[in-house]
Amino acid sequence: EENFTWKVQSHWPGSSSSYEDSLVRLKNIIEERTDGRLELELYEAGSLFKAKEIFNAVSRGILEMGTISPAYAQDKISLAGIASGLPFAFRNVWEAAYFHQGLGFEQMLRDEAAEHGVYWATDKVYPTEMVVKQPIKSWEDFTELKIRSSGALQTFLTEAGAAASYIPGSELYSALDSGIVDGAHWGASQGAFSMGLYEVAKYHVQPALNIAGTDVIIVSQKALDKLPEDMQKIVKQALDEQFWFRTNEYQYKERITLAKAINEHNVQVNTLPEDVQDRLTQTAQKMWDEEGKRSENAQKALDMLKAYLADLGYL
Amino acid sequence: MGVLTAFMRGVTRLNDVIGRGIALLVFAMFAFLIMEVAFRYLFNSPTVWTNELTQMLFGVYAVMSGGYIMAHRGHVNVDLLHSHLPPRGQAVLDILTSVIFFIFTLALLYFGFSMASESIASWETSYSAWNPPIWPVKAAIPLGTGLLVLQGIVKLLEDIAVAFNLSYYTPEPQEDNEGESS
Amino acid sequence: MSIELLTLLFFGSLLFFLLLGLPLAFVLGGVSVVFLYFTWGFDSFYMVASQIWGTMESFTLVAIPLFVFMAMILERTGVAKDLYRMMHLWCGGLRGGLAIGTLGICAVFAAMVGISGAAVVAMGTIALPSMLERGYDKKMALGVINTGGGWGILIPPSILMILYALITGVSVGKMFAAGILPGVLLMVLTVIYIVVRCHLQPHLAPALPKEERGTWPEKFRALRAVLLPIGVVIMVLGSIMGGITTPTEAAAMGVLGALISAAVYRQFKWRILQEAAVRTFKLTGMIMWILFAAHAFSAAYQSMGAQDLIESLMNMIPGGPWGIIIAMMVIVFLLAMVLDPVGIMLITLPVFMPIVESLGFDPIWFGILFVINMEIGYMTPPFGFNLFYLKGVVPPSITMKDIYSSIVPFVIVEIVGLALIMIFPEIATYLPDLFF
Ligand code: NA
Ligand code: NA
Repeated sequence: EENFTWKVQSHWPGSSSSYEDSLVRLKNIIEERTDGRLELELYEAGSLFKAKEIFNAVSRGILEMGTISPAYAQDKISLAGIASGLPFAFRNVWEAAYFHQGLGFEQMLRDEAAEHGVYWATDKVYPTEMVVKQPIKSWEDFTELKIRSSGALQTFLTEAGAAASYIPGSELYSALDSGIVDGAHWGASQGAFSMGLYEVAKYHVQPALNIAGTDVIIVSQKALDKLPEDMQKIVKQALDEQFWFRTNEYQYKERITLAKAINEHNVQVNTLPEDVQDRLTQTAQKMWDEEGKRSENAQKALDMLKAYLADLGYL
Repeated sequence: MGVLTAFMRGVTRLNDVIGRGIALLVFAMFAFLIMEVAFRYLFNSPTVWTNELTQMLFGVYAVMSGGYIMAHRGHVNVDLLHSHLPPRGQAVLDILTSVIFFIFTLALLYFGFSMASESIASWETSYSAWNPPIWPVKAAIPLGTGLLVLQGIVKLLEDIAVAFNLSYYTPEPQEDNEGESS
Repeated sequence: MSIELLTLLFFGSLLFFLLLGLPLAFVLGGVSVVFLYFTWGFDSFYMVASQIWGTMESFTLVAIPLFVFMAMILERTGVAKDLYRMMHLWCGGLRGGLAIGTLGICAVFAAMVGISGAAVVAMGTIALPSMLERGYDKKMALGVINTGGGWGILIPPSILMILYALITGVSVGKMFAAGILPGVLLMVLTVIYIVVRCHLQPHLAPALPKEERGTWPEKFRALRAVLLPIGVVIMVLGSIMGGITTPTEAAAMGVLGALISAAVYRQFKWRILQEAAVRTFKLTGMIMWILFAAHAFSAAYQSMGAQDLIESLMNMIPGGPWGIIIAMMVIVFLLAMVLDPVGIMLITLPVFMPIVESLGFDPIWFGILFVINMEIGYMTPPFGFNLFYLKGVVPPSITMKDIYSSIVPFVIVEIVGLALIMIFPEIATYLPDLFF
């Protein structure tokens, strides 16, 4: 019997909880179910390829597997913008999960990725939440903020009236500490905790800026096709289970971590006032339409999303 | 032989002109960063573009430097063995090790080109909040590497001339390392 | 092929071609490509291009050309020269005074930059000619710059500490706080070494003859020379600590300060600025091509299974907790002779950290040991970055052999410092415990 070894480049650093919880978990399950015939060699963020290059490397078949954020594949996947999260769309994690798996958004992503020789499997859906140094009690408080952000959320926060700037992760802690920015988002509470942000920013803002499938596992179709059929099935099944297990586990860990931050670092939850939420939602909805213009597929996904949100009574 | 001499001079001059031009980008990087600090600190309105533009300029600046530096013998090496050899011995050694140089730079040229053409094919942008095109920066990889390869060929031709006493090139007295002792 | 054998061949080829005189950047790149071909195949060369793209995209590196530019302006306009004249007048009677002054400037520089490279190149340009002119032994001068230029990663801010924190999950703030006292310790040790050595061998760093030491009015007039450099330092450090700029943006404040100094010196001339820009380009490019290739090299080594090697090495080590810590230090020290620091961290830390923590050691303390070891690695042959950066700025009369042999005593001093911090962990842990 043939044995296979896959190189897996992660976009998570080793200290990120998802490296262990998502990637090592997947490795263990796949190796166990294939009786060790398929071995995953894991590489921490930046080892072989930088995060933004992982999709290309998997697409070219140089890497057999990788993890990414949809944002890193935006030039190839027109749905990536929607996948990485429209601001203020979903209000609960289960809604995003159902959108992916129940309404077929995941399949749409998978079809687009397939054109580049990539098998797409969302690792989990989860919220992105902000931490700030001073609580936001009014619209004025919000517009006076300097926030470290990135990508679509940076555009959103700027449009909404805050001063959002991009600062690389390596300078984030110092920037927040010295007051170059007064707020930042890095995942939600687990991300903020791992970056030490609660040491310098004591208010955890809710609701989430977005809830989305921000972590994705990608597999080279070429590598997948080389496996015997039973092993292909094992890999795909493991990935399907991964979504549900990790989405649920992540929620649990978010809650635990936030509780720990509250106890150990005197963090307080800062719920945005009603009128601030309303104004943010209005700005957000203008931005959604922009995403739809990306492609026919994106428009279709956006229409589907809007209908869904209307059904839920949010629009 | 006139053609060879002309080629060598031409490449060196090309790298020199391009290098002296690109060197001025440091003023732009400086200006944009200062602007960002001013916008954010004085006016509380950071821009979405200054830091990213600075970084893009830096990428071009760095990767385009290879040929210029080679023309000015600025890529540092270990001269333990070299300093004990006569010029001809050095030249022979450099001809041999140039194989490694060309393996690296040609691999980089090939895959840099592949990377850049993929990027140009989709007019790739950065998808940041500012979302500028980044294909020009990626295109600088094969371009900068190409200039380095050309200068490497010049260096190889020089070494061959020195090693075999050929007339198309006469070595000038070695350029001073740009006046540190002055 | 086993990873042990691969490692020998890989590093052996690196050493071989380095000794044959091919520039470091091309040795690193070429050897990576050759080994990738045999271990991973032709397509994997894409990784080399991709690593270069990743390095081009690294925002923190933007600080390199800016800090180098700052130094070039200060040098070309004569500000730096006057600073050294002042130091010589004031410390002229003290043997090794200029070397100690240089270390002081290095420490200040280290507090301004979070990366290595810029400081070495800058101090090599400013300090080396000034010391050589005044009869200092070249090995003494080179060693001082090499060792002091590396402090940028130990004294906060430090990109390597941030990276350590990112990989291991410790607090960046604690790491920064922990770096301060060890930085001071290394400085004190190095100063002691210089004073003692120069006392025993006065020809290494001659004192200024009595008649040239200047009168008090002269000395005080010379003091004006420090005003501008101090102004530049305040602009940089003040904007970092005052929450005005990130460390990278602070580099631009340094250039602004240097430009203002140039204007005060009536040297704000296009010719001078252009010359400074061209030299900055050459030096930055030299650093960047080394980094491009070094990143490709360590990625190639990781793809061959470097981590498995470290794991199997760790399993072989007997000798209790301290034996393990010392073995880790030795491994890092050896890797640091040939590999770049980021690569070393990615290869070793995932293996080391669980062991360190299960033995009950403080990861912050271990991090400081690790960073000091990296710093030593920057200056150890055959392939310490600082050695090559310095080679890039010295006059042709100084060979790599001079640079290689200059570092020996300074490395020993740093190892003594490392040992002290191992024996007295409080040196590293006192401040973080106090602040957090
Ligand atoms: Na520093
Ligand atoms: Na080294």
